[in-house]
Amino acid sequence: MATSILDLSAPKALDGADSDDFGLVESLRTGAAQAYEELLARFQQPVYTLALRLLDDPSESADVVQEVFLKVFRNIGAFRGQSSLKTWIYRITVNEAHNARRWFFRHRRKEVELDSEPDDARNWKDVIPDGCLSPFDAAFEREQHVMIEAALAKLSPIFREAVVLRDITDMSYEEIAEVLGVSLGTVKSRILRGREALRAELAGSLQDRLAPRLVPKTAE
Amino acid sequence: MSCENAQELISLLLDGRLPDEERENVVAHAGICRECGTQLAALQTQRAALRKMAQAPVPEPLATRLNVLASHERERQLSRVSIRERARRMAASADLVFQNLMRPVAVPVTGGIFSTLLLFGLMMPNLSFSHTNGGYDFSTAPQGSLVATPWDLGADDDAENFPVFASPDQAKSDYVNIVNLTIDESGRVADWSIVRGQLTDEMKDIIMFSHFEPATFFGIRTQGTIQVWQGLPPCKYAHCSATVRG
Repeated sequence: MATSILDLSAPKALDGADSDDFGLVESLRTGAAQAYEELLARFQQPVYTLALRLLDDPSESADVVQEVFLKVFRNIGAFRGQSSLKTWIYRITVNEAHNARRWFFRHRRKEVELDSEPDDARNWKDVIPDGCLSPFDAAFEREQHVMIEAALAKLSPIFREAVVLRDITDMSYEEIAEVLGVSLGTVKSRILRGREALRAELAGSLQDRLAPRLVPKTAE
Repeated sequence: MSCENAQELISLLLDGRLPDEERENVVAHAGICRECGTQLAALQTQRAALRKMAQAPVPEPLATRLNVLASHERERQLSRVSIRERARRMAASADLVFQNLMRPVAVPVTGGIFSTLLLFGLMMPNLSFSHTNGGYDFSTAPQGSLVATPWDLGADDDAENFPVFASPDQAKSDYVNIVNLTIDESGRVADWSIVRGQLTDEMKDIIMFSHFEPATFFGIRTQGTIQVWQGLPPCKYAHCSATVRG
């Protein structure tokens, strides 16, 4: 029953990607314009997605992405190919997000945002609905994303990183272990516990929304 | 298989990391256990929902910033790789600094030069300088001459007794009356003093009514001195002249 809807295929081999990475890194070291364009084309979207899901703040995520690519460009000479380029960049992203989160809690936690709706700050092109979805589907999906983002924000950063890397960026357990710098067993444990915690958060938020709020009042 | 074991393995099952035998056991357990089946379905739905969040669109300003960043870093990388590129970059930076310095100055300076030339060209026809030097060179002693007197010199019967003008530098003659006249810049007598004898009526008339061409010094009118002699002999009054010392 369950096998029909599960993707049980083995993780993809990375040999081809590794050879591409090697050429790309070499081109970056020689300053080829095409290599810089290719790097941005390949990684700016996933890196932004990862940062956004880890931080849940578009402006903060944009700063993190910029910092990540600055580090990538500056340190490409030090990249030895011991891990894949993707893993290396994601590791920088996770570390930068971690630093940004710490900085946020130290400095900006007490700030009050004037714009209560983050989407207002976005370009209209970013928030225009997809024409392929019906209004109901779009609204449902959007609502679902908001709930998941809220639930992710409540997770511990350790579990959140593991779940985001696995379920959103679709990295393998081995890649996650490299990115986070932990053992494979720890990755499995964090993913399991993170998913459970997320499920519990989502279930709790659904119950809050669906439960009728009856406020007892005394008869006058 | 217990529910506790199955729930721990469901996560690995979702990621396809279970051996075939173990996978079949977990799937079979989920099929008969309501709680584990619900959990598997919930995690599948949750995972599918998370997958849909993988394509967050990159904001346009961020994409632009990243392109600019890549461009700058590429330039930086090139300058590290090649000395020639580094020199070119330094030259470009120097050129940029020079342009930035000169551009605010260039327009006012050019405008100032052109407006100065234009105004000076317009004023040139109206600019005139007096270079009167009596026909002498600038380095020679300035000269002055009698312009007008109230008398008609040629018709005067007593012409022999008429005063003559001389330079104070000239040697004193036998004239009885000698008077020094100070002529100002406008050609009038500004002052007089008696050198010898007395002041005659003719001398008074000269002081009162005559007009001299003033002395000049390098073409500029200046004060000068002239002497009037009267009382003796032979003189041709018709061409009386004076040398003026500036």
